[in-house]
Amino acid sequence: MQDYVLLLVGAALVNNVVLVRFLGLCSFMGVTTKVDTAIGMGMATTFVMTLSSTLAWAVEAFLLKPFDLVYLRTVTFILVIAAVVQFTEMLVKRISPTLFQTLGIYLPLITTNCAVLGIPLLNVGESHNFAQSMLYGFGSAFGFSMILAIFAGLRERIALADVPKTFVGPPIGFITASLLALAFMGFSGIHAN
Amino acid sequence: MSPLVDVSQDIDDRVLVEGFAQVVRVDGGSVLLEPEQLSSCGGCQSAATCGAKTGPRNTMNKRFVLANDFGGQLGDRVVVGIAEDALVRASLTAYGLPLVAMIGAGLAGQNLIGGDAAAALSAAVGLGVGMVMARVHAQRLTARGELSPRFLRFAAPGERVGEDCHSE
Repeated sequence: MQDYVLLLVGAALVNNVVLVRFLGLCSFMGVTTKVDTAIGMGMATTFVMTLSSTLAWAVEAFLLKPFDLVYLRTVTFILVIAAVVQFTEMLVKRISPTLFQTLGIYLPLITTNCAVLGIPLLNVGESHNFAQSMLYGFGSAFGFSMILAIFAGLRERIALADVPKTFVGPPIGFITASLLALAFMGFSGIHAN
Repeated sequence: MSPLVDVSQDIDDRVLVEGFAQVVRVDGGSVLLEPEQLSSCGGCQSAATCGAKTGPRNTMNKRFVLANDFGGQLGDRVVVGIAEDALVRASLTAYGLPLVAMIGAGLAGQNLIGGDAAAALSAAVGLGVGMVMARVHAQRLTARGELSPRFLRFAAPGERVGEDCHSE
């Protein structure tokens, strides 16, 4: 159980996908103008990232490695992610058309998110078992969503602040993001005893 | 709360986010509404892929149906409200329930039965169960009207977001 907790904390905070690995920056800057949008996007990405990370591990373990097809890893994972996004769209439509009207706009954005491809690739290199790969994907995705929500909250506040004209918009956003990344560097000192 | 949106409270003391819509079709006991104000976003480099972009195609895609118990006519401008936490609730229902069920079942399968195949099978079963739970819960939320906008009042001539007396 302790191993699982450490895996989650490590994936979400210590090796945060946005602020430490610098993946998914397009979503990070693009959908963080409002907290609600960021939360919606974050939750959708969490679902897709966890599922695709798990499926990618299964494809690697049961198909690519046994049949010596590891050179097809990147292409296969991209296909897996696209399939997962389509599945998620169908799932949400099936669960509730009302939910799909509210949540459906975020799904196409996830397909091209490099973090969604990056996490399964990193996962494969860690030699995890099935449960660990699932938790690694979930932890990374949770860290991604958390950062989106935090940054959106900061940007909403900054929008009301007296920012110098030259820095209004993306410039002050990037400065804020870099300060956030510096703050998260503090987690890199965490070690398991 | 951002000053760029208007809020009010309904009879259940929930905070509602207000928006404007126009009646584009009256169909017996229901009306088709098209939202007017989409977002406060001024546009950015990612506008091409942003879900909050403006334009006739996107407003058409966001049309929604309401029961016409307020006597709406074609062309009427109305103020509708939706629960502030509707998006979060919708996300937790659609994504949270299946995910938690899948992860819980997968971990249980790995630790109780052992082996990757058993864990994968347990996770798949958990995902299925989670989907069923999400569907049931979504139906409950929809039946209670918690995910749908509701009619609040007719818009005054020239009334816009940010100039309403309901601003916080």
